[in-house]
Amino acid sequence: MTEQKPLVLIIDDEEAMRDSCTQILLKSGFRAETAEDGAAGLKKIKDLGPDLVLVDLKMPGISGFEVLDRLKNLDPHIIPIVITGYATVDSAVEAMKKGAYDFLPKPFSPEELRIIIRRAYERRKLILEAEALRTEKKLLEENFITMVSHQLRSPLVTIQQYFEVILAGMVGPVDEKPKEMIFKARDRLDGLLHLINDWLDLARINKGQIVDKFKTLDIQKMLEKLIDFMRPLAQEYGVAVELNTAPAPLLVLGDEESLEQVFTNLINNAIKYTKPGGRVHLNLKIDAGFIAVAVEDTGIGIAKEHLPFIFDQFYQVHRSQGKKMKGTGLGLSIAKKIVDAHNGTIDVSSEPDAGSTFIVRLPRP
Amino acid sequence: MTKTSPKILVIDDDPDFREAVAPILKSALYDVISAANPAEAKEKILSEKPDLILLDIMMDSLFDGFSLCHAIKTSPEYADVQSTPVIFVSAVKEIAGSRFQFKGDEQGMIGPDDYIDKPVKPADLLARIEKLLKS
Repeated sequence: MTEQKPLVLIIDDEEAMRDSCTQILLKSGFRAETAEDGAAGLKKIKDLGPDLVLVDLKMPGISGFEVLDRLKNLDPHIIPIVITGYATVDSAVEAMKKGAYDFLPKPFSPEELRIIIRRAYERRKLILEAEALRTEKKLLEENFITMVSHQLRSPLVTIQQYFEVILAGMVGPVDEKPKEMIFKARDRLDGLLHLINDWLDLARINKGQIVDKFKTLDIQKMLEKLIDFMRPLAQEYGVAVELNTAPAPLLVLGDEESLEQVFTNLINNAIKYTKPGGRVHLNLKIDAGFIAVAVEDTGIGIAKEHLPFIFDQFYQVHRSQGKKMKGTGLGLSIAKKIVDAHNGTIDVSSEPDAGSTFIVRLPRP
Repeated sequence: MTKTSPKILVIDDDPDFREAVAPILKSALYDVISAANPAEAKEKILSEKPDLILLDIMMDSLFDGFSLCHAIKTSPEYADVQSTPVIFVSAVKEIAGSRFQFKGDEQGMIGPDDYIDKPVKPADLLARIEKLLKS
């Protein structure tokens, strides 16, 4: 907050009243602005954002009561004080009901004004401070995941960096046996880093935030980009990845970043569970109010008894034979959570040794 | 006449990371100097005039790295070293490499010349440095 003196707006139709209040306030360490009627007062509240408002209840045009009604919409934390020539209990009570902090019956002494204004300003400061703390707490919560991610990852990444340099032979020769072990240590650390990433992703997925970022997306373009990005992995596994092309753009309503993650996870799985020479086929079609994206592979498939659980967190199909698959067991849970946040669906069908098909349905704009 | 080796400034608050990355740079016969925080970085940039800067973007805050880079590229106090290439180094890599990529240009901030994820692969890092030093 700035070091500026607090600003008090005086709304009164009597010039003498405006002048005398201004004089008193200026001498007491405040800044003062004046308005001669309710309409001008409301405009100044909007334009200048005063801390406190002194408002006369009886004015031509917009009444003091109406100003009280409307100023909370302009600044919910502003502190209004009413001035009234008719210091009736009724009008004072009504003003307080409408949110006035206090009232000053005319005539009042400079000291009475100063006391009320100072007390009101203390209240304003407390409210603003509480508000700032609330905002800060919210920011902290939002940044918490990013900070935790950083704190967890930093030391691991530095360990990885030592391994990288040692394995590259840049700090001296390393014998075969220790080298082999460092390779293994590096792989385990890699797995741990992936797990932290996935875990944090799962915690970070928040329906409200995803919905806030909704825009119209050309799903085919997005998939083309992802396939391009994953081409090296597909080549490494000897798997062909294809996308059928639609004549017209197929549009979905969604959050680009999280949907990229859904399809990265699905295509990644499809490639890794398919034997060399196999293929992964992506098929797009309109399905009523949805676009259905099928990710179909010719991989090892999933046995019927496992199918109901594959979207569960940390569920991994244990295989008696074949090489151990690297993964955290969170990829499909993440995908499902994101698709659910889009009000879409994700389904699977599979035949052991023939392949699996995952179908994601996303709403059209 | 022999030309002196290019000098590379590593800015990172993690001393172990600085130690682990130095042998990579030394293996390619670069001179390595380092700084642990933005203030030290500023002093070294101006006094040592490095040929290239490796800058961790997550020092005290995400903002430090971004604003230091922006300052080097635009601020008058860095006028002498304005053309020094800057590579962002970050441990916060995400899928498809996009999530934590530099987005400061949306706020009118000048970005780095290149971007690399931690842990850096020695060959990848050296290739990127060589490319920037040549241009």
